[in-house]
Amino acid sequence: MGNTANFSQFRRQSKKGIFVIYLNILYKAFKAFWIFLFIFIQKFSQFSESTLFYIYLGVTALFIFFLIRAYLIFKNFQFKIENQHFILKKGIIKKTNTSISFDRIQNINFKQNLIQQIINVHEVNIETAGSSKAEISIKALSFKKASALKQAITIFDKSATEQAIGEVEKPLLKVGFLELIKVSLTENHLQSLLLLVAVLVGFFQQISDLFNGLGKRDILDNYISKNTSSLENSLILIVGVLFFFTIIAILSSVVRVVLKHFNLTVFVKNNALEIYQGLITKNSVILKKDKVQYITISDNPIKKKLGISFITFKQAISGKVKKKQNKIIKIVGCKNAQILAIKTLLFPDENLQKFDKNFSDSYFRNRLYLRGFLLLSILNSGLYFAFGVSHVFWVNLLLIPAFIISIELSFRKQYYLFNDEFLLIGQGTIETHKTYVPFFKVQHVKLKQTFFQARKNIADIVFQTASGKIKIPCISIEKAHKIYNYTLFKVETSQKSWM
Amino acid sequence: MIDSFQNIAVTSFPEIPKIDFKPIENKYLKVILINTFLVFVIVCLVVFFADYKGLFEFIENTIWIYVSIVLGFIFILLVKKIGFKKRKYAVRQKDISYKKGVLFRSLTTVPFNRIQHVEIDEGPISRLFDLVSLSVFTAGDSSDDLKVSGLLKEEAKQIKEFISNKIDG
Repeated sequence: MGNTANFSQFRRQSKKGIFVIYLNILYKAFKAFWIFLFIFIQKFSQFSESTLFYIYLGVTALFIFFLIRAYLIFKNFQFKIENQHFILKKGIIKKTNTSISFDRIQNINFKQNLIQQIINVHEVNIETAGSSKAEISIKALSFKKASALKQAITIFDKSATEQAIGEVEKPLLKVGFLELIKVSLTENHLQSLLLLVAVLVGFFQQISDLFNGLGKRDILDNYISKNTSSLENSLILIVGVLFFFTIIAILSSVVRVVLKHFNLTVFVKNNALEIYQGLITKNSVILKKDKVQYITISDNPIKKKLGISFITFKQAISGKVKKKQNKIIKIVGCKNAQILAIKTLLFPDENLQKFDKNFSDSYFRNRLYLRGFLLLSILNSGLYFAFGVSHVFWVNLLLIPAFIISIELSFRKQYYLFNDEFLLIGQGTIETHKTYVPFFKVQHVKLKQTFFQARKNIADIVFQTASGKIKIPCISIEKAHKIYNYTLFKVETSQKSWM
Repeated sequence: MIDSFQNIAVTSFPEIPKIDFKPIENKYLKVILINTFLVFVIVCLVVFFADYKGLFEFIENTIWIYVSIVLGFIFILLVKKIGFKKRKYAVRQKDISYKKGVLFRSLTTVPFNRIQHVEIDEGPISRLFDLVSLSVFTAGDSSDDLKVSGLLKEEAKQIKEFISNKIDG
């Protein structure tokens, strides 16, 4: 490959990178100081002319300082490829030199936010399984350079890579706009609402800090307390609010899904999945087959009717970076045929259908009921202390059936089955998740028993993989031992590398 | 490759319930007791200080706080004493196992070919008794990996050496 020669010398990113870095710095500064800007605009008339002059001068100096900084960051950011390693030098005052071996690289992702789209450069992110520090982000490369870099890194990875550039392949999966709307309407709206609330709470805190600072705290408090007191009185308002929240929840999931997964296209190329998606920020991810630790296929009753489900791919994470959302790769809107295709690509000859499902012991149901009961009591006492009226206990008329239904569903949907190579665990309440784990990807196994479980001769079995725990709750101890031994046998004799 | 697998000769499967687990050093019980006692002393000091400052005014008789602390302490000591006998480990040809617990029992096995690194730690009180703890780490979220406390320093070093050879070989 002639392209690789280009990277043997240290080189910088595209010159447009200065602009991207500059805007990035400005954006960060704005995010940190927007409250000052707000105050400034509000008190604009109170400033005398000379103070205004100094403020403008200061701000201009800051802008110029940022520009110089951006230029220096650009100037000192150099990378090359040497000896199967990606080498990066960066830092203005504190110089860092990073070197990453190719086989430690999990993914090379392309990303384009709005600005990068306008000036036509690509951000290249190189992900490793190590700590977040080892993650490399090259802010601006032209598409040609970016793909050349990707090629140069991936070319050594597999011996048989015959990748013809420019050849148009038929995508495995392409999700159109209408399809995406379908997907988004059947999302877990409660989750979207919670996400939205979390964002709003953060926003509200900033606002209330601001009001606090301006001594207008009372206004805000009055406003809120007036609203809440009327909320307690009128049932219509409550229904209205519920309706409103439902609409908001649905809207927010639609917006979220469309923004993230717009024009989702998946290609299969030499043992890897290439995923392209995104509206404002375009993302492209290459998912190498061997780096996937396990996959989960999920749907819910409505999605099942429509024949669509989503697949979540789990890759290795390091211990320190907990629950890093962007490392979890999701493909939404899969049809059955496409799921089959992806499954056969990742886990060939898996053939789990012919095996019988094994269910958890009824102890599991009892445990769920016990936990549900505890949660209900906490909820009830919390509500009672919050409102101080015994009317709140009527809520239980709604809560108790909801709890019973979800517990029964969870119990019924919890099962496992396995063949020589794979373990399949089913779970879920309203949604249904099927997790496929190859035995040799397990890092260690654990058998857990509480005192009560020991008396009933049942145990939980926990598989630790490089991307998290997978648990089979409450199965008989003999079965647990068998699975335990078999997993160890598989792991200890396996010659395949788990990553 | 399955033919070359030799763990224990009973069957081709490595059977966990049948292997001999070794108990950890008896001296380690003293370490546990001393550690628990130190925590107890600290808790008592904090409570006493808070009481002195008058933070428990809403409770009529503060003596009950101390009684409950002492009772809790005795309970914890009993659990630790019984639980101590349950702390056992086993090193086999291809993996290391550790089990523990009375109320919450657990048994963990880590295969050598998944171990990223091995660590030997000496606590301040363990050091007085010449004891160390051996931890192994695997990939992913390693907070829950295997840790065997209360090993003799020499023995831990041997195990570490053994594992390191296995990883490299």
